[in-house]
Amino acid sequence: MEEKLIDYITHEFVTDDDVEITAETKLISSGLIDSFSLVSLQAFIAKEFGKQIPAPKITAESFDTIRQMIEIINQF
Amino acid sequence: MFTHLYYFPFLIHSAIIYWILPKRTLRTGFLTLCSLAFIWYFDYKAVFVVLGLTAFTYLIAMWMEKSSNTRTAHRIGVIGLLMILIAFKYLGFLNRTIHSLLGFITELPTFSIEKLFLPLGLSYIIFKYISYLTDMHWKIVKRGSLLDFICYGSLYTTFVAGPIERFERLKPQLEADIEPFKAEYLETAFQRIVFGLFKKLVIADWLGYFINPVWSRPDNYSAFIRIAALFGYSLQIYFDFAGYSDIAIGSSRLFGLKIMENFRNPYFSPNIGQFWRRWHISLSDWIRDYIFFPLSQNKKSPFWLLFCVPVLAMALCGLWHGAAWHFVIWGVWHGIGISLLQTWNLIKKVNKGKMAFVNTVWFTYLSILLTFLYVTMGWWWFR
Repeated sequence: MEEKLIDYITHEFVTDDDVEITAETKLISSGLIDSFSLVSLQAFIAKEFGKQIPAPKITAESFDTIRQMIEIINQF
Repeated sequence: MFTHLYYFPFLIHSAIIYWILPKRTLRTGFLTLCSLAFIWYFDYKAVFVVLGLTAFTYLIAMWMEKSSNTRTAHRIGVIGLLMILIAFKYLGFLNRTIHSLLGFITELPTFSIEKLFLPLGLSYIIFKYISYLTDMHWKIVKRGSLLDFICYGSLYTTFVAGPIERFERLKPQLEADIEPFKAEYLETAFQRIVFGLFKKLVIADWLGYFINPVWSRPDNYSAFIRIAALFGYSLQIYFDFAGYSDIAIGSSRLFGLKIMENFRNPYFSPNIGQFWRRWHISLSDWIRDYIFFPLSQNKKSPFWLLFCVPVLAMALCGLWHGAAWHFVIWGVWHGIGISLLQTWNLIKKVNKGKMAFVNTVWFTYLSILLTFLYVTMGWWWFR
């Protein structure tokens, strides 16, 4: 799951070649992912892992890193 | 309301009694009674609206809890709440709009819809209750006790001007074991309230002293002065609203409650998307969660996603601020800004590696300046 998320985020959202995405990289609070991209990410998670994450859970506090994303995905 | 003569004596006395009470339910019940008394003092009719809305929403929540399919109950609840909001806030606006449209077709008979009174805090409580029902539908939050729910809806420290707190965050605080008063609560409350009063009474009101005459009679002033007044308003509205939010957060802390932040240096945002993550955060989160995301789901058309969704979501955000077209135009202005940002992000993605200048410091400073200018120009429509 972690690898798939890293691959997807790196390929879809990262525009700076120098930025390396890890499980602990701050994605929302750093501005790497905007609201529009979060909609795509939500759709990717639904398609890839079969989990529909409600929008209020996709916040900079609870969904900022891939580690946090995995925790939330596992809750649903 | 926070600058009313009786607000702080009321806050201090209610906080002292709150901490003396020995049980959680007594404390929550007392805080709810204080909230209803506060609302009654400023607008007694609003108390009946609050109680009616609370009863309606809670009954829908009970129905959702018993039903295996929550969709129908959720839809009825949300539509009901929106109808109440329209009836109280937007009938006059609809009336004016319909009349101006019918003015072009003189053969059709004209009709009139009377505007109801606008109860205090209505827009805030309706948005809180819609979030409550939708979060229940999404299985994020459980129904909670009626006492906790009415306390959430009527909490006087946030009732008039937010933040639009979510029940999911407040519920565990109202259900937590009883605890003694901590000095940290007083310290935080004092700090936030003093900062809030400074922002509101010193900076915002002082700016208002200079710019209000320009806004009331713009023809008497030169273009330069009018532009200066626009920038002054940009700062005034920030300090006024952020000051209010500080007082609300500080006042809530006096009861041990932690309310979400509403502003995080929004004028230092490098783009309009970041601005909305730092300006009136509780409202922008609400718009994002309950309008932006649902409108975006299962839609593939780039035009819909890039343009229609941001413009529609922000137009509704504008309309929430007031029943007038200039608020809608202000919202559309921001929607177009977000749409342009999304397009810019797509351009960056397509040209990955070829636009290194966007990661430089000077470009960040330029982005902050441009974002501030764009937002400030938008305030012209808002005022």
